[in-house]
Amino acid sequence: MALLLRTLGRQGVCLSRPHYRVLYSHAAPMGTTAKEEMNKFWAKNSRLNRPMSPHITVYKWSIPMMMSITHRGTGLGLSGAISAFAMAALVLPGSYTHYLDLIHSLSVGPLLIGLAKFGIAFPLSYHTYNGIRHLYWDLGKGFKIPEVYRTGYTVIGLSAITSIALALM
Amino acid sequence: MSVFCLSRSMIGFRNSGMMVMVRYAQTAVAPAPEPRMKKFQIYRWDPDTPGDKPRMQTYEVDLNNCGPMVLDALIKIKNEIDPTLTFRRSCREGICGSCAMNINGGNTLACLNKIDANTSKPTKIYPLPHMYVVKDLVPDMSNFYAQYKSIEPYLKKKDESQEGKKQYFQSVEDRQKLDGLYECILCACCSTSCPSYWWNGDKYLGPAVLMQAYRWMIDSRDEFTEERLSKLQDPFSLYRCHTIMNCTKTCPKGLNPGKAIAEIKKMMATYKERKAASA
Repeated sequence: MALLLRTLGRQGVCLSRPHYRVLYSHAAPMGTTAKEEMNKFWAKNSRLNRPMSPHITVYKWSIPMMMSITHRGTGLGLSGAISAFAMAALVLPGSYTHYLDLIHSLSVGPLLIGLAKFGIAFPLSYHTYNGIRHLYWDLGKGFKIPEVYRTGYTVIGLSAITSIALALM
Repeated sequence: MSVFCLSRSMIGFRNSGMMVMVRYAQTAVAPAPEPRMKKFQIYRWDPDTPGDKPRMQTYEVDLNNCGPMVLDALIKIKNEIDPTLTFRRSCREGICGSCAMNINGGNTLACLNKIDANTSKPTKIYPLPHMYVVKDLVPDMSNFYAQYKSIEPYLKKKDESQEGKKQYFQSVEDRQKLDGLYECILCACCSTSCPSYWWNGDKYLGPAVLMQAYRWMIDSRDEFTEERLSKLQDPFSLYRCHTIMNCTKTCPKGLNPGKAIAEIKKMMATYKERKAASA
């Protein structure tokens, strides 16, 4: 019976709108659409008040996973810092050299200055090197897990060296 | 040589009853092995107990009389300790994908995962992460399956009038492109390991489904590559992938969904130009 109805329905479509044949013949025999099934899923689970299984709290962290979130963190930090710097230049009354002299006059010592420099240099160098790693991925290369680790360690090593060098400048 | 013949003839004279006695004596002499009690901490939640909160329950299993895999331990617990423990399983050889779960912080198939022999550390077992729990280790997979349905995972031809009349041939090279893609068993280990899928599982398709989308895009017999690509042209379906690579790291079949997604992204960048050039 279902088969009969389905066949009739299919032919009806073909007869009434012959020029849509290709489009319709693909959609016709499905029971429910994917969209309907998704809607049913969300409605059912919120109605039944089922718990969500634990995720970030139980999933084991790996180096690539940590590097990914660090890339995002440094990206947000850098764009925030650039915007804050630009806003400060617009809003604050004194000139750049005035504030630079102010920091010099505090004489906080080379260790703290070095740390502060490292704190700025590391996100910058890390985000740059890992950005290159992402571009390499965008070429479709370096997707085997050992390669992912190797490029990851390279990025960490290079950004450590670069940021220490920048901090010593 | 003569000793050998003598012993053989002696065995020949023995009846089966004596054999059993001898064997029994041999095993009785051997010292009983030290029990190797291993703790399993398992996520429990029962929908039929009103107001039940998810909790961890600890079971102890002697590894000396348990199979080598985590699934063996789960079945042993269910058979001998707690019949209410609920989990999915079927083939016990990594081809059905039913027993996908989070074991010691990584998603894998319980049947392919060896029990860690270190008895000082408990093995922690959770359902697949960030999924609605039906009961204990059983998550609701309906959204995952609906997403799979949405990519139309079957061969599509522009001209259907020739359907079923003759085989669609494929060169050896074209067939080889599907290796590493068609083996996916849709266990959802990769998708539920992906933080992007955790936060955007309603709109992002996830690694497993995207890899199957790619499998049909590059099938030489399929004629809907452009349409398949244009369906992913929105900020979420494909582009929530940030190459975290949890998917490839966790795949119990050793496949590479991360790479497949990268290949789709490459195709997305050029398919419109190719279409314009061919038109």
